[in-house]
Amino acid sequence: MAREKIIIVGGDAAGMSAASQARRRRPDLEIVVFERTPYTSYSN
Amino acid sequence: MIRRPETFREKFNIDVRTGHEVVELDLAGQRVLARRLADGEERWEPFDRLLIATGAVPFCPDLPGASARGIFGVNSLQRGIELRRFIEEEKPQRGVIVGGGYIGLEMAEALVRQGLQVTLVDRAPQVMGTLDPDMGALVAEALRGIGVTIYHGESLAGFETSGGRVTGVVTETRTLPAEVVVLGMGVRPDSRLARAAGIPLGDGDAIRVSSRMETGVAGVWAAGDCAESFHLVSRRPFYIALGTVANKHGRVAGITMAGGDAEFRGVVGTAITKVCDLEIARSGLQEKELSRLGLDWVASTIESFTRAHYYPGAGPLAVKLLAEKGSGRLLGGQIVGTEGAGKRIDIVAVALHAGMTVEQVAELDLAYAPPFSPVWDPVAVAARETAKLV
Repeated sequence: MAREKIIIVGGDAAGMSAASQARRRRPDLEIVVFERTPYTSYSN
Repeated sequence: MIRRPETFREKFNIDVRTGHEVVELDLAGQRVLARRLADGEERWEPFDRLLIATGAVPFCPDLPGASARGIFGVNSLQRGIELRRFIEEEKPQRGVIVGGGYIGLEMAEALVRQGLQVTLVDRAPQVMGTLDPDMGALVAEALRGIGVTIYHGESLAGFETSGGRVTGVVTETRTLPAEVVVLGMGVRPDSRLARAAGIPLGDGDAIRVSSRMETGVAGVWAAGDCAESFHLVSRRPFYIALGTVANKHGRVAGITMAGGDAEFRGVVGTAITKVCDLEIARSGLQEKELSRLGLDWVASTIESFTRAHYYPGAGPLAVKLLAEKGSGRLLGGQIVGTEGAGKRIDIVAVALHAGMTVEQVAELDLAYAPPFSPVWDPVAVAARETAKLV
């Protein structure tokens, strides 16, 4: 069975905070973040 | 500081795909359409749970010349880097800032430091619209003190350009020559994808969310500058685009999306900035918001010092507090002053969270020693003065 998958649209403060928190709680989740710019979060 | 996409991938097993824009949400089909910007290739990507964290877009009026080279909105690290590079390479002499809010103030200082002749234009009759006019006037004075020319009450009408480059900013009453223009006219939530997918929106078209950061559509979360918050003083939905709030939204969304329990109860509208040596901070509701809410309020502004007045480095500050008439409940506060002034707003923020009265704030056991504060902390003095009017 495929792993449960979270998609996050936007990799700045909110998106990357969420990704990190979700990962901490659920090592098994597949987490994909789409970010338009070349950069991810810069203040967390 | 910047965490690179590779760090997230290697250390946290998070698949970050930069240079990818999501162009459509198919909620019924539980998939998003992602476009790789390098070659335009589009691919549907399935999900079980979705978080929309699309941020905010700078308000940019559709005016003649708005796409000319030399006009910047600094809403991302990328745009900030581009502006810096433009200044280093093109060496502009004159800069015009449109908008006297947080971005406008910080960019005014930055351009002055780069040696530019800076003019700030704002359509409002004051700078720093999140302060009341009397406190905003102190900020305008400081800006003029570093050489910034300010034109109040003038709306942007367009831009003058030559060969695709900006050469001037046109307002209703004048044309200001400029080789570089920074737009700081505020932001609006980037809720376009959510709207197109039929997700309910709220205050200012921000995505409506529960305290668990869930949208009105099952399996879909929203967080950050695209999402709504709740104002703990007005007890109403409230839109605020700030990194601190975005981090808290994201934290709660990440926990609840992973099946955990967390709640984001709300904000009191605390914010802080500085222009050169002047610190500017605010929390809670300001006069115009209180009038809009129809609340009966009193206000008091006091002048004091950041340390004991005789202690080296002591500087002036002004503290304004607003309270509900009758009950004395603290409604908001604003602080403008030299080093050591700004972070005192946290006293106001905590008191607002706790629902304290100004009488209670006046009685707080706050830290005192001459290097840090006058015997009576300026916030406590302002609370005492405000309490007299309640």
